[in-house]
Amino acid sequence: MLRITVGQYYAAPSPIHRLDARVKLVCALAALVAIFCVSNAAQLGIAVAFVAATLLLSRVPAGRVLASVRPLLVFLAVLSLFNLFFVRTGDVVATLGPVSITSGGVAAAALYTARFALALVTGSLIMLTTTPTQLSDAFDRMLSPLSRVGLPGHEIAMVFSLMMRFVPTLADEASAIIDAQSLRGGAFDEGGPVQRVRSIVPVVVALLASGLRHADGLSRALDARCYEGGEGRTHLHEQRLGRRELVAGLLTAALLVALVLLA
Amino acid sequence: MAPAEHPPIEHPPVRLSHVTLVYDGGVRALDDVSLEVARGERVCVLGANGSGKSTLASVICGLLAPDEGAVELAGERVCADGRPDLEAYRRARRSLGLVFQNPDDQIVTSVVEDDVAFGPENLGLPREEIAARVARELRRVAMEGYAGADPARLSGGQRQRVCIAGALAMEPAVLVLDEPGSLLDVRGRAAILRVMGRLAAAGTTLVHVTHFMEEALEADRVLVMDHGRIVLEGTPGEVFSHGPELSGLGLEVPFAARLSERLGLPWTCDEQDVVRKLGTCFFSQAERDRPAAAAAQMPTDRPGLSRSACEKKHVPNLRVEHASFSYGRGTRALDDISFEVPAGSSTAVIGQTGSGKSTLLRLLCGLERPDEGRVVVDGHDTSSRRGRRAAKRSVGYVMQHPERQLFAETVEKDVAFGPQNLKLPAAEVERRVSRALETVGLADRRKDSPFTLSGGQRRLCALAGILAMGPRILVLDEPAAGLDPRGRAMLRRVLARLSKQGITLVQVTHSMEDAARADRVVALDQSRLVAIGTPREVFSRGNERRLREGGLGIPRSLRVARELEDHGWPPLGDPLTTDELVAVIRARAERAKVPVPFAREGKC
Repeated sequence: MLRITVGQYYAAPSPIHRLDARVKLVCALAALVAIFCVSNAAQLGIAVAFVAATLLLSRVPAGRVLASVRPLLVFLAVLSLFNLFFVRTGDVVATLGPVSITSGGVAAAALYTARFALALVTGSLIMLTTTPTQLSDAFDRMLSPLSRVGLPGHEIAMVFSLMMRFVPTLADEASAIIDAQSLRGGAFDEGGPVQRVRSIVPVVVALLASGLRHADGLSRALDARCYEGGEGRTHLHEQRLGRRELVAGLLTAALLVALVLLA
Repeated sequence: MAPAEHPPIEHPPVRLSHVTLVYDGGVRALDDVSLEVARGERVCVLGANGSGKSTLASVICGLLAPDEGAVELAGERVCADGRPDLEAYRRARRSLGLVFQNPDDQIVTSVVEDDVAFGPENLGLPREEIAARVARELRRVAMEGYAGADPARLSGGQRQRVCIAGALAMEPAVLVLDEPGSLLDVRGRAAILRVMGRLAAAGTTLVHVTHFMEEALEADRVLVMDHGRIVLEGTPGEVFSHGPELSGLGLEVPFAARLSERLGLPWTCDEQDVVRKLGTCFFSQAERDRPAAAAAQMPTDRPGLSRSACEKKHVPNLRVEHASFSYGRGTRALDDISFEVPAGSSTAVIGQTGSGKSTLLRLLCGLERPDEGRVVVDGHDTSSRRGRRAAKRSVGYVMQHPERQLFAETVEKDVAFGPQNLKLPAAEVERRVSRALETVGLADRRKDSPFTLSGGQRRLCALAGILAMGPRILVLDEPAAGLDPRGRAMLRRVLARLSKQGITLVQVTHSMEDAARADRVVALDQSRLVAIGTPREVFSRGNERRLREGGLGIPRSLRVARELEDHGWPPLGDPLTTDELVAVIRARAERAKVPVPFAREGKC
């Protein structure tokens, strides 16, 4: 079974959850850029403290965060090994046959891995503390200048939200169809590239048909519930900029300033 | 906007006159339909697949405009002489609610309360009003504890209740429910019906489209559709007294009505009524005539009890020994299950949603391997990779909604997919395809696209694709789910034919009547085996409490027989089917010389 953990919301009564999604997105984006500019231990310490504090404030169990970044951990491991073996600055620390590890390599591996891990945690915290509705509403508002020049800002946000909603459904169906076709002798992991492409057809066509059925149903549901685009729509969750948003903005600014001062 | 929200009292919320709707390709989905629904009325629309009932639902909730005729919805003249007024339609739609089959297609967000709020948000209501409505409607469908939940983690029945709350939050003048229970299990369907009962009592106007006859009993008025026309109309009692006509339309009469008719009792739709009538007439007679009653208590002749299949062949070709299984680290999906399936027999697996039935099937066909214990399929232990591959060859697995795996341009190409993968010679592929299509009765549709078949035929086409692999064992996961009575009957005939051909059948079912027809029944509850044996053993009085705790019932005939026994009848010998029940009631009554109408031989 395919398991999709990306985009799973974790409900909890925390200030991070209650933060206006637009502010949350902008702050997270700023923090991400800052994290990728970290280049020394002092800066790293500040960044770790910032992310750890956010994690604590959000009341999301660390296990949940770990579960949602797990698919990317392999990538993280490869990245750090790559740095370890191929960065050739500083003194040689150890030699294993033709491969030698330098102090620069160790430092780079540690730094890159830590930066990437921090970025992953920040990204997954956004998804865990923000509902898809809030996200799409935030995009909607942030993209609204686009509507003024004739681009479909609201619709882009809505499509994004529906995509989040239907990915798990389609993933479940895909795995059921793959099981069914492989029991009918469909081989998806054998033969050359041409044969592989051909063998995927029974799955893709069946899945497309299923997607069209969902699209049909969805359009019926959207019509029945009077969805007519963004105009005239109100929102259950009011987006308001208050003290909490101000504090979040100031704290993020403080992080940026601290990182610049320690550079 | 004001007239849409407060239509004048004299306007009925729905009025269709001489409405005709033709789809591309010339199919007359609605043919001169006239209908009026009064405020607060509960109307039930019955019909087989393709009778036009879903199209009628779409017209009533303003999603489809007819080609001819006039439509008035929520006080707006939305269509006159086949000319739709799009602005009026937009206004009317604000007062019309719709819930249809698949809850997955109707939920647009990943948080329950946001989804319920979606409609009111589109109406542009103020925030406080939306919040109040969301809370009120979630309470009404008994989902108030799930406001922050992710719908993907709810059961199908709970999700469908969220959809109903979402429609109600728009405060519609009419709520249209288009087969809301057809994809749900028995418990989910019962919960939906309870919600509908509460809505009707509160005065909500309901139009309910269904092919479950039992669901129509509570309605104020029942319409029966066939080929786009309303062919029967009246109170449930009036409509269901047309038994033969209904079966001709591919529908079935409620069990109590069928039973009372076959026993020659005054017509009724109420099972308790049947029991009361039979109970009192036997009891009063038995009081006067004790010796006769005693004679009737002799060991019983059991009609239709030949369970030859499992006695003839003792070779098990499926064996499960102390098998346990869990997905990931969570709780166990199956816990220490052991049973055998004799070759050529048919086995029914029963249990609530989440009891582990589907997981059990995945183990049987080698898609998963047990964490502990063994599963032996046709002599192959599935704990090894080679064993699983061999198991996959001897087992045909028919997943839930197998029609979703159809993909080819024609029926025959789709059925040929499996045999071709086996690298069989062309002549053999052709032979298998013909044979499989013959077995399921689709031989005359082989050149058609599978997507043009009816729902029941599509499922049979998918089944043919699996049969063409030549399995000795067929494992089916709720093969009848979502089919109308005609489709269910078609499927039942095909399965009986396969059983006669000597194929071992294992099927998960929600229908205790289907389970009673199997040679053996396996009952699961919370990942454990609670009962196993012949239907008679599993549905015995001693097991009744255990089955009830697992959310399972007993076949309807047996339920009536038990109640009769409680009303003073002599033992009736556990009849499992309507035929057995009717036969045994007649035999008892004759032996006891009870002069009642049902003793006469007749419409049997």
